[in-house]
Amino acid sequence: MFGLLKRYRELLLVAVLLLLPLVVYFAHAKRQAELSRFDRTLLWLTSPVAKGIHWTVSGAQRGWYGYVALRHAHEKADGLQRRLDFYELERQQFLQDRAENARLHALLGMAEASPARRYQGARVVGVRLDPKGLQLITIDRGSNDGVGRMMPVVVAKGVVGRVHSVGAGTADVLVISDRNSSIASRVERSRARANVRGTGEPWSCRLDYALRAEDMVEGDLLVTSGTDGVYPRGLPVGKVTHLKRTGYGLYQYAEVVPAVEVTKLEEVLVITSPIDRAEESVDPTPAPTPTPTGTPLPGATPAAAAPGGPGAAVPAAAQASPAAPAAPPAPAAQPAPAPEARR
Amino acid sequence: MRTLFTFIFALLLASLQAGLLRYLGGGAVSVSLVLPCVVYLGLFAGNVEGAIGAAAIGYLLDLLAGTPKGLMTFLAVGAFLFCRLVAGAVEARSRTAFAVLSGVTSMVVGLGALFLTRLVASAEAAPGGRLVWRMLVEALLTAVLSPIIRAAMRKLDGLFTREEAGLLR
Repeated sequence: MFGLLKRYRELLLVAVLLLLPLVVYFAHAKRQAELSRFDRTLLWLTSPVAKGIHWTVSGAQRGWYGYVALRHAHEKADGLQRRLDFYELERQQFLQDRAENARLHALLGMAEASPARRYQGARVVGVRLDPKGLQLITIDRGSNDGVGRMMPVVVAKGVVGRVHSVGAGTADVLVISDRNSSIASRVERSRARANVRGTGEPWSCRLDYALRAEDMVEGDLLVTSGTDGVYPRGLPVGKVTHLKRTGYGLYQYAEVVPAVEVTKLEEVLVITSPIDRAEESVDPTPAPTPTPTGTPLPGATPAAAAPGGPGAAVPAAAQASPAAPAAPPAPAAQPAPAPEARR
Repeated sequence: MRTLFTFIFALLLASLQAGLLRYLGGGAVSVSLVLPCVVYLGLFAGNVEGAIGAAAIGYLLDLLAGTPKGLMTFLAVGAFLFCRLVAGAVEARSRTAFAVLSGVTSMVVGLGALFLTRLVASAEAAPGGRLVWRMLVEALLTAVLSPIIRAAMRKLDGLFTREEAGLLR
């Protein structure tokens, strides 16, 4: 017996090295394993190289754009000054509009109640948009800077994703195009609800749970609905394209072009303040005025869709664990644990 | 010791890859600089040493790609055995053959990951066939860059292989 083992020990070792990971994979594939100290150390070891490359390349870029590319800068500055004058006039107009808007808000009793959000700026130092794995970008801020798991990451154009794992000085962000990412959204125009789910390709997402009867057309802007407890309400998510509405079935299907080009990100903002679910899930559109008979006006979105309907809060478990299979969404009205608790 | 250095080299390559892809298309295309290390082990290392090295590199890939533990480890050891089988059938140690084998292995690993992920992922989160062409691009880029990795791995090997004096080569 021992002779046999000794003779085939190489073969046995290779077989164990092949099969053991497969067993581990099938045993743990449905739930995300926490990173061990060793794993975190390995990830930490990769960050100095990524930061070093970022420092070198951005230094070279600064050198180029700061000196060599500054030819014809004078003509450009003159043109910009003229535009600036024009924008200053526009700004004055906007200030007046804003003051008027604030007055109207106060009249409607919709004054801001939530405290101001806190942001942490970060630079993108690495990207791992691997078709075989998760779609991650690495930022140069971590737990030392107040960044935590599940925190939303945004830019001015819209949603980038959410923090997936955090190290001391870096964090990985799961971008919206990852197939495990699902964002509760609304059509800005009609307030129709749907979930935006990634496809694994950086430039496209798809629409989930968009009821066939909902008012939606190609080119509609989707914004976060705030009902998933992860993203604050009203951030642009993407635009609806390739809308398909069949003559049967519950849902309509569409692709979504993300508002943010994740392949061109340089700096991002992490929203470090907790998202107030109660405040975020309030629909800014006034409720449809009931007709004398008590029925809503035609085209008005029902206040609460059927259970499992679109725009519903994505379960915390599904959000927290990309490897885990996503459960069907719960109704928007269902209370979810506070974001703090999930972190 | 050689396995440890191979692992450290793979770690360096993975960091380099994440840092450089940030500027080269921002991740629009993907490349696997680490996989040619497994191919190299399949062609030039011993059975035990190579399998352990491949498993270690696979573990690293699991960690960096964010895949569930075991997926890339299994595929890396599988890729090692695949390369070993190919090397037994045809001569694949030249630069060109190494590049071709790296590309093919990258594609095989990508398709394997797609298949295994589809087995366990929910229908909504399962990766679709539309990712295959991205894997094809990744395989091509990996094949193009693999001779550089091969040259670096040979240098690394040179640190642990003592030349026998007096032998004509």
